[in-house]
Amino acid sequence: MIATPTAVALVARREIVERVRERSLWISTGVTIAILAGILILPSALGFGGATKATVATVGPRAEQVVARAHGLQKTFDVALTARPASDDVAARKLVADGDADVAVLRGGRALAAAQDADDAVIAAVQAGSQAARGASIPPPLPVERAGDSGASDRRGIAFVAVVILYGQLLGYGFWVASGVVEEKSTRVVELLLSAITPRQLLAGKVIGIGVLGISQLLVIGLVGAAVGAATGQLDVTGDLVSAVGVVLAWFVLGFLLYSCAFAVAGALVARQEEVQSVTAPLTILVVASFFLSFGALDDPDSSLARVLSFVPPSAPMVMPVRQIAGNVTASEMLVAIVLTLVAAAALIALAARVYGAAVMRTGSRVTLRTVWRGSG
Amino acid sequence: MLELDDLRRRYGETVALDGLSFAVGPGQLFGFVGPNGAGKTTAMRIVLGVLEPDGGGVRWNGHPVDAAARARFGYMPEERGLYPKMRVADQLVHLARLHGVSAADARAAAGEWLERLGLAEVAGRRTETLSLGNQQRAQLGAALVHDPELLVLDEPFSGLDPVGVDVLSEVLRERARAGVPVVFSSHQLELVERLCDAVAIVRGGRVVASGPVAELRARRGGRRWRVELAGASDAWLRDVAAASVVHRDNGAVVVELAPDADEQALLDAARRAGRVRRFAPEEPTLAELFREAVA
Repeated sequence: MIATPTAVALVARREIVERVRERSLWISTGVTIAILAGILILPSALGFGGATKATVATVGPRAEQVVARAHGLQKTFDVALTARPASDDVAARKLVADGDADVAVLRGGRALAAAQDADDAVIAAVQAGSQAARGASIPPPLPVERAGDSGASDRRGIAFVAVVILYGQLLGYGFWVASGVVEEKSTRVVELLLSAITPRQLLAGKVIGIGVLGISQLLVIGLVGAAVGAATGQLDVTGDLVSAVGVVLAWFVLGFLLYSCAFAVAGALVARQEEVQSVTAPLTILVVASFFLSFGALDDPDSSLARVLSFVPPSAPMVMPVRQIAGNVTASEMLVAIVLTLVAAAALIALAARVYGAAVMRTGSRVTLRTVWRGSG
Repeated sequence: MLELDDLRRRYGETVALDGLSFAVGPGQLFGFVGPNGAGKTTAMRIVLGVLEPDGGGVRWNGHPVDAAARARFGYMPEERGLYPKMRVADQLVHLARLHGVSAADARAAAGEWLERLGLAEVAGRRTETLSLGNQQRAQLGAALVHDPELLVLDEPFSGLDPVGVDVLSEVLRERARAGVPVVFSSHQLELVERLCDAVAIVRGGRVVASGPVAELRARRGGRRWRVELAGASDAWLRDVAAASVVHRDNGAVVVELAPDADEQALLDAARRAGRVRRFAPEEPTLAELFREAVA
């Protein structure tokens, strides 16, 4: 007989080694990283965010001088201007009318033409440039200070990405636990395993092995995501980001502890892979519901609904991280959520340990939780 | 020495084991036979601790079987099962290690058994890609790889081709010679008869006959005789009151005598009827004993 830690380690090791060999793990990691990179890179590629870009049509050297002056002031107006010389005023108006330019400087710098949807800041920047070009001794524009917390929307964005990743990871890895249990049951290898080790050792090894894999995948995704973000300049690797990654990892562990044993028990109740979907449906619904509830918290992290949901164990692993990243959470609130989740996880682990052993050897039709609970005394 | 003592087990209303007992000594090749549903698989699962009995117990070398003892047992379940996607060699190494074999020894033992079972060439392949016969051999490897002190095999011969049957028979004999008690169930009674030192015949969850095959035969007694007469009908038998015909084949007649009858009287009657070519005790086959026992 081997010691429990050895048995658990052997089972966990097998889970990791065999799953790392599966192409599906690498595909899912790649897809997640691609989505993350897309979220980071696409907005700027599509022209969202950053300074407002605008094209200014110019006719003659005076107009070019106006744009050059405006160019010097563009930081103040948060715009990025590109000059586009036109042969005459008619051609310049046509550029604006066709949407190829936002603004045109006409009549040797004495008049402007602007598109209907031209940004006010762009027009203001060109106006300021023309005043400067005429040598007017006017004071420079007043600096504008944005009211409110400058990082709030950034943090909300991070919280959104965090909860999407947490949701995918908890659901995906929970499902892996369930289908892994069913695989052993449907192939009957479980009988051979249980002639060597106990059901609890098998359950613990499976959950720990798959959990370690889940954490590792998160770390890889986090590191690659941060590297891509930093390399493309779309992401400042700030304290906000680093602590968000930590929050996601911590809540994955807590959430996985909570959900994985429940998924294992669900898997033990059925005998065929085809039944995994239906037997895990209640758990899947719970995870999906928590995911959608976390959107409410994303909107208003400190609403009373979000506060309550961040303490209740089924939704805490997805709502609390949102509040931690995007809202204001006191240390004691965080502690309460963690303790409540751990207590619920401990209760589920105890239930799983009792039920799994009784259910996993039953073959044939699906068994009910009540039957195995009674039969496992 | 493995002892099953008064094992009882029900599944709901169905009685699977109803006081089943037998013992297997060191180095004994023990056949476990009985009709489907007689309780063979249930008994084996209880020995391996995969199932709990409602009553009775299993002893190994005089002590109730515990997890430490079970780790030294080798088991082949009736419903075969290995990880389909795992490589054959990895699978054996993993199972050996779960039984407490060190990593290096597990690799060495897996290599040896794969070689011996003719699986060396497919050692690196996923188990699901093997032919059914080879999967069966891999399953046997899984039962043997940790050098068990007791072998419990549920229908190990089913699904094997004749070469596989020979390989398995030789492995079981060799294990028994090494002092390992080997218990296996089978419906192939000729095979059991050829291979086993002793058998237990079960019906309805209890042993209806057990012991060495020769002893079982002797217990029924040498009451059947095969008589072959040159050119005579069976009319002479009417004069032997204590004899009844069991069956005829190839000009011979198999006769069963009443328990207290004298076979010499039968022989004298035969000699009066014609030239006796052959007069020999008719040994019942295991199949016959089986049919009588479970009838």
